[in-house]
Amino acid sequence: MAENPEGWKPKILGLVCNWCSYAGADLAGGARMQYPPDIRIVRVMCTGRLDPLFIMKAFTDGADAVLVSGCHFGDCHYLEGNYKAAKRMFLVKSLLKNIGLDDRRLRMTFVSASEGAKWAKVVEDVVNVTHELGPSPFNRKYGELKELV
Amino acid sequence: MAEAVSPTTSKKPETPRIGVFICHCGTNIAGSIDIDAVKEYAKTLPNVAYVDDYKYQCSMPGQVNIREQIDANKLTGVVVAACTPRLHEPTFRAASKDGGLNPFRFEMANIREQNSWVHMHDREGATEKAKDAVRIAVAKAALLEDLYPKSVPVERAAMVVGAGVAGMQAALDLANAGIKTYLIEKEPSIGGRMSQLDKTFPTLDCSQCILTPKMVDVGRAENIVLMVNSEVEDVEGYIGNFDVTIRRKATGVLSPEEAEAKGIVGGGCTGCGDCGPVCPVTKPNEFEMNMAPRKAIYIYHPQVVPLLYTIDWDSCVKCGLCVEACGEKKAIDLEMQDELVQVKVGTVILATGYEVFPIENKEEWGYKRYDNVITSLEFERLICASGPTGGHLVRPSDGETPMRIGFVLCAGSRDNTGIGKPYCSRFCCMYSLKHAHQIIEKIPGAVPYIFYMDIRSFGKMYEEFYYRIQDEGAKFIRGRVSNIQEDPVTKNVTVYVEDTLLGRPMEIELDMVVLAAAVQPTELTNKTRKLFGVSCSQDGWLLEAHPKLNPCGTTTAGVFLAGACQGPKDIPDSVAQAEGAASAASIPIHKGEVELEPYYAMCIEEKCAGCGMCVNLCPYQALSLVEKDGRTVMQVTEAKCKGCGTCGGFCPGGAIWMNHFATPQIVAQIDAFLLGGEQ
Amino acid sequence: MTEMREYAFFLGCIAPNRYPGAESASIITSRRLGIELLPLNGASCCPAPGAFGSIDLNIWYAMAARNLVLAEQMERDIALICNGCYKSIYEVNHKLKHNDELRDGVNEVLKEIDMEFKGSIDVWHLAELLYDENIVGVEKIRESVKVPLTGTKIAVHYGCHLMKPKKERHMGSTEAPRWIEELVEALGAEAVEYRNKMQCCGAGGGVRGYDLPHSLDITNEKLQNMIEVGADAVTEVCPFCQLQFDRGQIEIEEKFGIKYDMPVFHYNELLGLAQGMSPSELGLDLHAISTEPFLKKVL
Repeated sequence: MAENPEGWKPKILGLVCNWCSYAGADLAGGARMQYPPDIRIVRVMCTGRLDPLFIMKAFTDGADAVLVSGCHFGDCHYLEGNYKAAKRMFLVKSLLKNIGLDDRRLRMTFVSASEGAKWAKVVEDVVNVTHELGPSPFNRKYGELKELV
Repeated sequence: MAEAVSPTTSKKPETPRIGVFICHCGTNIAGSIDIDAVKEYAKTLPNVAYVDDYKYQCSMPGQVNIREQIDANKLTGVVVAACTPRLHEPTFRAASKDGGLNPFRFEMANIREQNSWVHMHDREGATEKAKDAVRIAVAKAALLEDLYPKSVPVERAAMVVGAGVAGMQAALDLANAGIKTYLIEKEPSIGGRMSQLDKTFPTLDCSQCILTPKMVDVGRAENIVLMVNSEVEDVEGYIGNFDVTIRRKATGVLSPEEAEAKGIVGGGCTGCGDCGPVCPVTKPNEFEMNMAPRKAIYIYHPQVVPLLYTIDWDSCVKCGLCVEACGEKKAIDLEMQDELVQVKVGTVILATGYEVFPIENKEEWGYKRYDNVITSLEFERLICASGPTGGHLVRPSDGETPMRIGFVLCAGSRDNTGIGKPYCSRFCCMYSLKHAHQIIEKIPGAVPYIFYMDIRSFGKMYEEFYYRIQDEGAKFIRGRVSNIQEDPVTKNVTVYVEDTLLGRPMEIELDMVVLAAAVQPTELTNKTRKLFGVSCSQDGWLLEAHPKLNPCGTTTAGVFLAGACQGPKDIPDSVAQAEGAASAASIPIHKGEVELEPYYAMCIEEKCAGCGMCVNLCPYQALSLVEKDGRTVMQVTEAKCKGCGTCGGFCPGGAIWMNHFATPQIVAQIDAFLLGGEQ
Repeated sequence: MTEMREYAFFLGCIAPNRYPGAESASIITSRRLGIELLPLNGASCCPAPGAFGSIDLNIWYAMAARNLVLAEQMERDIALICNGCYKSIYEVNHKLKHNDELRDGVNEVLKEIDMEFKGSIDVWHLAELLYDENIVGVEKIRESVKVPLTGTKIAVHYGCHLMKPKKERHMGSTEAPRWIEELVEALGAEAVEYRNKMQCCGAGGGVRGYDLPHSLDITNEKLQNMIEVGADAVTEVCPFCQLQFDRGQIEIEEKFGIKYDMPVFHYNELLGLAQGMSPSELGLDLHAISTEPFLKKVL
């Protein structure tokens, strides 16, 4: 594993559904579970809202990783949104591979409103993997292809 | 950046002037985040016209300040950086509204639950994250628009699923408030677990005696439509307008009303019982915990409500002898089929109760291998005067009266081995004390041995009851029973336990052991909750909206919880929660209308190609294709749209505008995070 | 003729030294049922898990690993007939396969004798191989019986290390298993349930060596429970349990003055008997307690 550039801190975008994962993240907070601060959350009502273009925009903007988190299958507040989101994320993952981004930079997880501990673990995990992968080639300050974007 | 032009506005939005209000929340936020740094940073953000901070933004002075600053600074939008929107978004929306701003021009940055509380040892990281969160929120606030919640009428009817004591109480309260209530019960009779109990703690009331008046009230209440032997099959709709399909399973027996409707004068089941004796098929009676027989055509016990016989189709051989015995009343219809009934209700209460954990899975206690090891519910039936032994406690192996009876508490509860349940089942300590009392009272000279970890006598008059049982002479041994062995000849059971207060292991030979087995949610509860969109907590019980401040509600508007289905609880707590749920469920109905958040989808017709692919994506069938000015475009039925955004996330032409979560608004947040600020 | 399944036969210490009949019965009966037990040359004590494990875990790991490597070199899984050996050989194999640090440490020691643990084989108790219908199975055993043990009541002693700790084994229920009873009933005998049948024999964990009277106290209780249900004999799958029950009855008579005369058989000895092996082939005269009363009922 190559050394990561000095001063680089991972830029991780979290796209999180209001009913399950956002609530689970709040629960982690209530229980004071600690995890690394490298993630920024954008709340949507359902992961089904997520257009694949949002993810691609995030990566072109230089995100080092994107975490999409929704309800468990069968528990979606809007019945099926998470299934559709999962299908879209598979598509985006293969797109990432095609443009030379390690597809581990995109991750979809399922965290319910009562799974605060799981949320903390998921974030910790994503941050660790991102450290392993290093800055995205499109990262605006540290990416090797930053001139292209 | 995409232009934020929604179909609702025909003009471009005005230059945004956002007010940023940062909350210290005492030291909850200020303890981990440098508020001043965030404040100074906020001042540098584009579109920010005013920045302020306060100790408790949600307090009266905090809210008044927001109100005043909106006017003073001609703000077009408000950002509060504080706790989670799931807690105070309504609070600050109301404050914004008071200040003359449309409440949907408000955006919250969560810098507590998702920042200060989870990054308590990284002040620098937490502060940077807070700055980013404010920047992201400001970017969205600059693009928010006026939205108006839509009101929908509320059907003046309610539904209660489950007719145990909680469900019955909730139904009675709703009915007495003048609301037509559908009470759905899966068994052929109402009453639930409480009708299986002999006595209730700590008053030692006869359970069926105090329950029967309620059961009769339910049966008699005009406003209650009672459907027994029924289950919820399907649910559509939303608060105020639930379309519920109920499967009324065929009982094979007509009630007097049903018989009359069929033209059988003076017919229908009167509960006379002529059919039972002639039925050739005998099966275990589930109500008696399989310790007594019933026929294929049966009632559980003489006090059932409604007093109608039911046929167990799995056992019935359709010999027709019962039809003959019923004679003129013609109450039996062996060809009866299930019926699907559709009802519309405004609110729903789930009161689906509990079942006993399969304690044979804890093999060390020998349940189902040793005759003389039984569960507490089986004990209730044995000690109950209306039970299989007429209230005489006997040993299953030989019918003798036991003199030394052991009670294993926490059997399968507080168990982290992965086999039992990790939680406490709450009422077992109390009922075991009650059982000990009943033995001392009924069997002179009998000695109850209670093997406990703790005695949780938490309720009103519960501790006093504990003193009483101690004084009556019950023996208490503090330790977990590790093993039970059976004497192959006498069938006596020997309990191996450590008396932790004396610090030594013990072997005690007993005549009988009662396991205070853990309880768990029923399987039907899991199926039913999914139909209503209710989550369950990690322990499997149904998830309340907030464990402290909203224990009767769920995150699904219009659906409430009552009784043990939300977590094990005794009768007082079940009844209390049922009354709370009934009150909450009646509010929308009495108001007559309910406001829905205006997050619905809209079609940007100029961009719509009429491809129709979004139509099939909608789980609520809220979208359709229509002809407009010679073009085919999509149209949203706003009443059906819940705002999930599944269509919006898909439309390849960008022709769907999701109110309050529009594409330009989300992209602005993403860009603000990744492109804005110092990199 | 079906192909023979070959295993490296780990003998342990007690069977060859005290109950050689168990060893020979195992080889001969297995051969009849399609299992060839090959000699594992150079094997040492497993080492005894209670004694060695209590004193120095590193020695325990290293000695067991050495035995495992011998089998790896033979490229055969290990089959054994003793619960104690099972604990040592099976558990150490499992631990070394899953714990890199532990394995590296053990291999450092094995390096000194030019050995390396690779984790390439599995370890089985012969009883589980006999029970597994994909390998032998109860039916095949029943078919191989020439001298059914009809009319006898046999108490099965499972011992401790075969079934437990449950989390580190795959043998099923540890409270009320019935599979060895099924193996016994396949021989035509009646396997009787008795009180507290899963209790230890008293020997293991170093207890027999350290505190004989207490270990005999436990054995005594077991024997009483077996007598209570009219057992004619005890059967087990562990030569150490066998020693405790067999020799133990002499010691119990010396110390407590109680005489049981309860014959004790390793399951493979019973299997051999049922398959027609003679008492002398089974070395039954080497048992401390005479097996005559039982043989009279059967032969």
